[in-house]
Amino acid sequence: MPAAPASRQDLPLLLVGTDHRCAPLELRERVSYAGEAAEELLVHLLARPELGEAVLLSTCNRTEVYVKPRQDEGSYQAVLELAFSSRVPEITEEGRLYVKRGLEAARHLMGVASGLQSMVLGEPEIHGQVKQAATLADAVGTSGTLLRKMFQAALKAGSRARTETAITGGAVSLGYATVELVKAIFKHIEATRILVIGAGETGRLATRNLLDKGAQRITVTNRSADRLADFLKEFPAVDTVDFDQRNSAITVSDLVVVTTGASEPVVTAADVRSAMGRRPGHPLLLVDLGVPRNIEPAASRTENVFLHDIDSLEKLIQRNLKRRREEIPQVEEILEQELDHLNGWFRGLEAEPLIARLQKQAEKVRRQELQSALGNFPPETHDQLDRLTRALVRKILHHPSMRLRGRDGRDTLPHLDLVRELFKLDDEDE
Amino acid sequence: MSSLETFLSAAIILLPLTYLLAALAYGWLFFAGTERAKRLSTPLLLTGLFLHVAFLAALTLHWAQFPAGDVSQALSVVAFAVGLTYLLVEWRGRDRSTGFWIVSVIFFIQLLSSMLRQPEAVAQSALLKNAIFAAHAFLALVAYAAFVMAAAYGFLFLRLYRELKSGLFALFYGKLPPLAALERMMAGALHIGWLALTGAVAIGIFNGYQRYGESGESWVADPMILLTLATWSLYGLALLLRRTQQWQGRQTAIVSVAGLCAILLSLVAVNFLVGNFHSLGPATGQT
Repeated sequence: MPAAPASRQDLPLLLVGTDHRCAPLELRERVSYAGEAAEELLVHLLARPELGEAVLLSTCNRTEVYVKPRQDEGSYQAVLELAFSSRVPEITEEGRLYVKRGLEAARHLMGVASGLQSMVLGEPEIHGQVKQAATLADAVGTSGTLLRKMFQAALKAGSRARTETAITGGAVSLGYATVELVKAIFKHIEATRILVIGAGETGRLATRNLLDKGAQRITVTNRSADRLADFLKEFPAVDTVDFDQRNSAITVSDLVVVTTGASEPVVTAADVRSAMGRRPGHPLLLVDLGVPRNIEPAASRTENVFLHDIDSLEKLIQRNLKRRREEIPQVEEILEQELDHLNGWFRGLEAEPLIARLQKQAEKVRRQELQSALGNFPPETHDQLDRLTRALVRKILHHPSMRLRGRDGRDTLPHLDLVRELFKLDDEDE
Repeated sequence: MSSLETFLSAAIILLPLTYLLAALAYGWLFFAGTERAKRLSTPLLLTGLFLHVAFLAALTLHWAQFPAGDVSQALSVVAFAVGLTYLLVEWRGRDRSTGFWIVSVIFFIQLLSSMLRQPEAVAQSALLKNAIFAAHAFLALVAYAAFVMAAAYGFLFLRLYRELKSGLFALFYGKLPPLAALERMMAGALHIGWLALTGAVAIGIFNGYQRYGESGESWVADPMILLTLATWSLYGLALLLRRTQQWQGRQTAIVSVAGLCAILLSLVAVNFLVGNFHSLGPATGQT
């Protein structure tokens, strides 16, 4: 019969933090720590007698300090002063900070690592950032057994959420939505011939996204040669074509991304019809990232042409976000499982040594009493008596051991100090 | 009733039932994507196919001929061929995304076969015991199985094409192989079907002349032959237009789907009007 899950006991943890939901950027950026500043803060935190361990998680959207308090009193004040109010006094205004303790702090961190707390639900970068925070604290020497274990559990929860659910599935940015459309039509982006018309900021972002996802055949064109030259400095591997030759380039492309600042369309419906006439049977994906639109909408009426503008990409993004939201219950289930494991581990930390001492003490008493009684029994019964007394002790200690481990299904747990006192477990061995 | 007949009677019900369960499992996988659905779908299909092998073997034993004695048997062979082909495609591509649609078609065809079953009407034909004619029947059934696959992929192509064109991103988007892959799979199945049908027609003509001589009247007017020639022409034209690039993926997909519907309707009609697959007159020298 499987053991009942361990009853939950609060971990000695404190979280003080702020994020994009409760503080605007101008406050968050002032309590953002990176590099040496982060290391210094960690060292200062641990120099305080109220704090036993500390880890700092600071990203563009959140700054959170996780500590193991040595004393309940003063730990919150210590964190608040050192990490937040010394830089931004107004951050103590109501609603700017959140404070969580014990398992709630652990659950919050797991939610962060799983992307549930991110500005874009399910964004995967936070997992790496949580890992970096744990690594930094380790390197500086401010994390100990508890926080190290908690961060490991959070990272595991995050990994499980990514692999067992679709919380990170689907593109949620314009660039990646374009890539997703390519894969829906052509399958392999590596073999997709891509033409980017427009070498401005949006064109660079689109090219960067495409290259990140494995695109290898990118050609770019721009009206201004200077801007094109700048573009090539950042992306030396892409090919170029004259702006006037763009229609010929469309003929040999699978994906055309148009992102110019032109007020009139630079790709007309007639251009598209003409291009498709020279390559019938091959689908063409047109992505118009311009405002006003750079591609005549009538181009979408051509057979085998798929035209998408910002609105339709946004629709795709919203669809993907909706699907991510549907994964939240599954992710929360994973978090509960990992929280149970963490709690079980912590219970073991505290209770196992005590259980071992209890069993040792009971064994000592059993041997003493057995030794003194054996003389009254014939020798052939000694083995039986030994077995009998062992079984008695085992049965008597079974329930208390289960209770201490928290596996008897009850919510409340006995104070370990009381157990020590009742059984005199602090006495030295004779 | 012999044990073979009992098995046949039971299998005719169990087969569509098993395929229905498999289709539901694949459907669960398509719509919900759960691990349990993944674990159930392929094993259920495999169960159906094993049962189907036993059923076709029992038919062959019972009638002592290739199991194409009537429309019902032919449809069952087609359903089996489609199942086997799909399983290969799934295994090679490690992709179950089209499973619901293909297995649903298998279920439908097998259900049709079960409903059209009339054991007393099965032609005990010397033809089917003839190796050359059996090759003709086999190639014809392979062709129809390929056309079924082409129609299924054509249907999926059309649905995905529509969603990508309109920016609706509804049921099919993100759940199917890419559009270009669906087009290739459809075209591949059409090519295989047309080539197999060409072989079947060629052998059939050869066999026809051998048996019935030059008096074509008695056998060329057979409804099944006329249907086959019409099918062969239609699909051949579609492939030609695709090859010369006048037709693009969407038109070919429409022909695939419409073509299969026409074939199935005609087969049902032939079954009711003629009773057997071929209503061939007496062979030369026979009365």
